[in-house]
Amino acid sequence: MEFKNKRVIITGATKGLGKAMALAFAREGAWVVINYSSDDKSALETESEIKNIAPKSLLLKADVSSRTDVEKMISNVLEQWEYVDILVNNAGIIRDKLLMFLNEEDWDRVIDVNLKGTYLCSRSIIKTMIGRKSGRIINITSPSALKGRICQTNYSASKGAIISFTKSLSREMARIGITVNAVCPGVISTAMTENLDEKTKKEFLNMIPMGRFGNPEDIAEAVLFLASEKARYITGHVLVVDGGLG
Amino acid sequence: MKEIVNNLEALIEFLKKMIIDTLKLEDITVEGIGDDTPLFREGLGLDSLDALELVVAIEKNFNVIIEDENVGKKAFESVRALAIFIQEEYGE
Repeated sequence: MEFKNKRVIITGATKGLGKAMALAFAREGAWVVINYSSDDKSALETESEIKNIAPKSLLLKADVSSRTDVEKMISNVLEQWEYVDILVNNAGIIRDKLLMFLNEEDWDRVIDVNLKGTYLCSRSIIKTMIGRKSGRIINITSPSALKGRICQTNYSASKGAIISFTKSLSREMARIGITVNAVCPGVISTAMTENLDEKTKKEFLNMIPMGRFGNPEDIAEAVLFLASEKARYITGHVLVVDGGLG
Repeated sequence: MKEIVNNLEALIEFLKKMIIDTLKLEDITVEGIGDDTPLFREGLGLDSLDALELVVAIEKNFNVIIEDENVGKKAFESVRALAIFIQEEYGE
């Protein structure tokens, strides 16, 4: 049990990658905060799965782009659990459109959830980590940040900024003993990729040297590694987990 | 803690110990820190990252929150300035 009694917050934890991370931490004995913003049904289903394996868990509804919501969620966790060891900023949305058709609302919403959410959650939790001189922050980014992708100027900008945020915060926190890293998943089988049409799916598969989409568990393992004691000397790093997509 | 806060000398002593413990300043003693020695640069030689840790320690010990850098700059001028700041803000 590598994470026995470690306290973990995972944003956007009720589906896809976030859910796989929550389950993986739970299996390793962690106390898991399952954050979500809107889908109560999925949230309750995930919670019941996590409850079966995690020593302790909390299901907390909060929109990560809202400072009030985030501060309420974090104080709720700290009141009940006193401190947090690991924060995984995973909550993210897409609103894909060509720039010419990308309205301001779709730009703002993606930036607000993906980037501002990462800032708000990190800022709210950092004091408790500084006080304990330890902590792990892991931000989820995307190949879209590194290479760009059509229809994703908003998403790629948000994910690129998360990489820059990760590098700067890692420098601020290194001496204090808090590591800040990012994980960049390749193309992963989730509800998001299931909605792709067959042609796009084939195109993606042809680009991946390993010839398969990643599983959410592939990403969860990378997150657990960066959160573990084994990764104590790694900070400011972007760990690409993409089957060689590059 | 209220008794310490109300007694400036005791508070200054407490803060010196808190600074040494929080920042693990192994080669500095309580006696080695003057009440009016600047905490940063040419004084005690602390930097902005040390300030972060002190802000957290002050909030934990006194429930006094230093919200922004300007407040912090004034409060961290010296141990005496910090003590007076805490006396002003404590319990409000």
